[in-house]
Amino acid sequence: MRTLLLTGMLAVVLPIGCAPFPDGPAEDESGPTNVNTRLIIESVQVVGRGSSKLSEPLRSELGDVAGKNFDQTLLDRLADRVKQELHAPDLRMHVVKGDMPDHVIVNFEIGAQHEKRFDLDLSRFLYHSKQGWSGQGHATVNIHENAFSFGMVSDGDQLSERYAGIQAAFERKNVGTDRLQLRFDFSSYHEQWNQATLMDAAPGEIYRTRTQFAPTATVVILEPLVFSFGVDFARYRLTLPVANTESSNAVVSTLRYHQRWGSAGGAPQGNDQGEHDIQASYSVRAGTHFLESDPVFARHETEARYRFRRGHQDLRVGFLAGKISGLAPLFERFIVGNAETLRGWNKFDLDPLGASHVVHGSIDYVYRGFLGFYDTGAVWDRPEQREQKQSLGLGCRKSGFQLAVAFPIRSGIVSPVFYAGMNF
Amino acid sequence: MMRLRTIKPWWVIAAFLSGMAFAMWAEELVLSTQESRLEFAAPRIHFLVGKPLERLRNASEVPFAFKITLWSGNRSHILREVPARFVVSYDLWEEKFSVTKLVTPRRTARHLSENAAEAWCLQEMSQDVTGISPTEPLWARLEIRAEDGKESGLPFGRGNITDSGISLTSLIEIFSHPAATTQPHWSVETGPVTLDELRRGRRRG
Repeated sequence: MRTLLLTGMLAVVLPIGCAPFPDGPAEDESGPTNVNTRLIIESVQVVGRGSSKLSEPLRSELGDVAGKNFDQTLLDRLADRVKQELHAPDLRMHVVKGDMPDHVIVNFEIGAQHEKRFDLDLSRFLYHSKQGWSGQGHATVNIHENAFSFGMVSDGDQLSERYAGIQAAFERKNVGTDRLQLRFDFSSYHEQWNQATLMDAAPGEIYRTRTQFAPTATVVILEPLVFSFGVDFARYRLTLPVANTESSNAVVSTLRYHQRWGSAGGAPQGNDQGEHDIQASYSVRAGTHFLESDPVFARHETEARYRFRRGHQDLRVGFLAGKISGLAPLFERFIVGNAETLRGWNKFDLDPLGASHVVHGSIDYVYRGFLGFYDTGAVWDRPEQREQKQSLGLGCRKSGFQLAVAFPIRSGIVSPVFYAGMNF
Repeated sequence: MMRLRTIKPWWVIAAFLSGMAFAMWAEELVLSTQESRLEFAAPRIHFLVGKPLERLRNASEVPFAFKITLWSGNRSHILREVPARFVVSYDLWEEKFSVTKLVTPRRTARHLSENAAEAWCLQEMSQDVTGISPTEPLWARLEIRAEDGKESGLPFGRGNITDSGISLTSLIEIFSHPAATTQPHWSVETGPVTLDELRRGRRRG
C-alpha cells in the first residue's frame, strides 16, 4: 500500500519538473517525527448517528487505546474499522487536549452527510455454471432518517424460478427512537421456468408475473436481539389458459440474534485472539384467509451461522432448517443445490419444485484466501423422499469475491459445478 | 542651495529604504548570499495554512515536499535541482511546531512558532554556490507541496467492499479525485540575478 502511495505521489509530482521530489520518509532511525507521540491518550470516543451500533470487540479495542501514547497509524486503522463496521462514508478524527496535562482525547465523529448520501450498490453478482448469471443492484438516496432505494434484479439461483424485475423500498431508520424502524418493500418480477420444473408442476402452480408489497417494522428488543413483524402481500398471474391472478398474503415475523466478541486482524500485534460472530434467526410466514390469501400455509425457517476469524484463517459454520405446512406457492418453497447450499448439486436434480422440508449444514474454511468447503443436507416433501446429499468444493474467497468449483459426492458420473461472483 | 544639500541625502535614503521595502513586499522569492551559500526567503508564502494547518492542529503530522531549481545562462541550462522533504507536527499542549528534515542524519527543530517553522524549512534549502561564476545570470524557483498522509484509495481497497456489496459510489469517488488540484501547493520564482548583484545587496524580482 505504501509503495503504491509513493508511486501515485511521484506520478503527480513528476510532470512539474524534470527531477522528482524525494522518495518516501526514511526509516525511523531517530524517533518519531510527530511531536504528539509523547502525549498520552486519555480516552477514545465514537460520536454521531449509528455509534451505538458499534460492536463490542471494536468498542473494547478502542477502550484499550486509552493510556497509550498517541499513535496516528493505530488510530487511522481503528478509524477505518469503525467506518467499515458502521458503513459510514464520512468519519472524522478530532484530537483535543485532555483534562490532564499532556493527555489528549480522541473523538471519532460520524459525519452528518452519512444520511444524505447517494449510493449505488452491486449487492449480488454471480455466475453459476448450471444456472447462469444472477445479479442485483440498488441505488439508494438517504434523506435525513429516510432511505429510498430502487433496484433491479435477475436471479436464477435462489428459487426454483428465474425472476427478473424491479425492487423499490422506503426505510425510516428511526421512528421516534433508534429502536424502531419501518420499511416498505415493493417488487415486480417476470418469471422464467426450467423445463424440469414445468414437467413436475401442476397447472395451477406456475405463474408468469409476481408483484409483492411488504411493510415491516423492526424493533430492537435488547441490543443483539431484534424482532421484525409485518405482512407480505403477493399477487401472481398464473399461466393457465384463462389468465388468473392469485394472492398469497402472509403475516411475517422474524427474531434475529447477532453477537460478536473477541478481536480480529485489526487488533494490535499480539492481541489478535480471534473474532467470533454468531447470527441466528427464526422466521415464520403464515398465509391466512384472514388476509384473503388463496394459499393457506405456515412456513417456519431457522438459520444459524457461526464465524471465527483469526489472522489469515476464517472458519464459517452454517445451519438451516425449515418446514412448510399447507400449500405454499413455489416462491415460498425451500431450495438446495445452488451457490449457497449443497454447492456442486443441481437444484433441478434434487427437487425442481422446491420442497416443504429442508435441513442443511455447511463448513467453510479459508486460509490466506484459499477456500475449502463441505455441504450436507436434504430436501423432501414426504419422509420417504428424505435423502442426505453431500458435496465438497475448493476455491478462493477474498473481500466478498468468491470463485470455486464444487463436486457432488455420489457414485457414477460426477460433473463439477463452477461458480464465481460476489456476495452470495 | 544649502537647504538642498541637507535634504538630498535624506531623500536618497528614504527612496532607497522605501524601494527596498517595496521590493521586499513585491518579491515572492527573495535571494541573498551568506558567504558561499545562496539563501532563500519567501515572506509572502505561508504553507502552514488551510487544510495542512487544520490537520496539524488535529495532532497529525504533515509532510511537505520542497524543491529548489536553479537555472543559468539564458535560463536554458538547469544548474541544480534540489528536492527535500520536511515533516511538520504541532504539539497540542505546547502549541508549538516541530519540523524534521528527512535527511540522514535527520535534523529537527522544535518549539517553533508558525513563521519560524516556515523560515526554518527555507533556511534548510540554502545552497552552496561555490564554483558558480559571480557574473552568471541565475533564475530560481521554489516549489512546495503538502502531501496527504493518508493512504490513497484503491479500486478494490478497504472500505469499498462491504457485507452488503461493492459500493460503486466509492469507486466513482476514487476515480474522480483530481490528483494535483486538491493538493495544496505553492510555487514562486525570481531572476535573472547574479551572485555579484546579490553580494552588493541588490535583490531583484
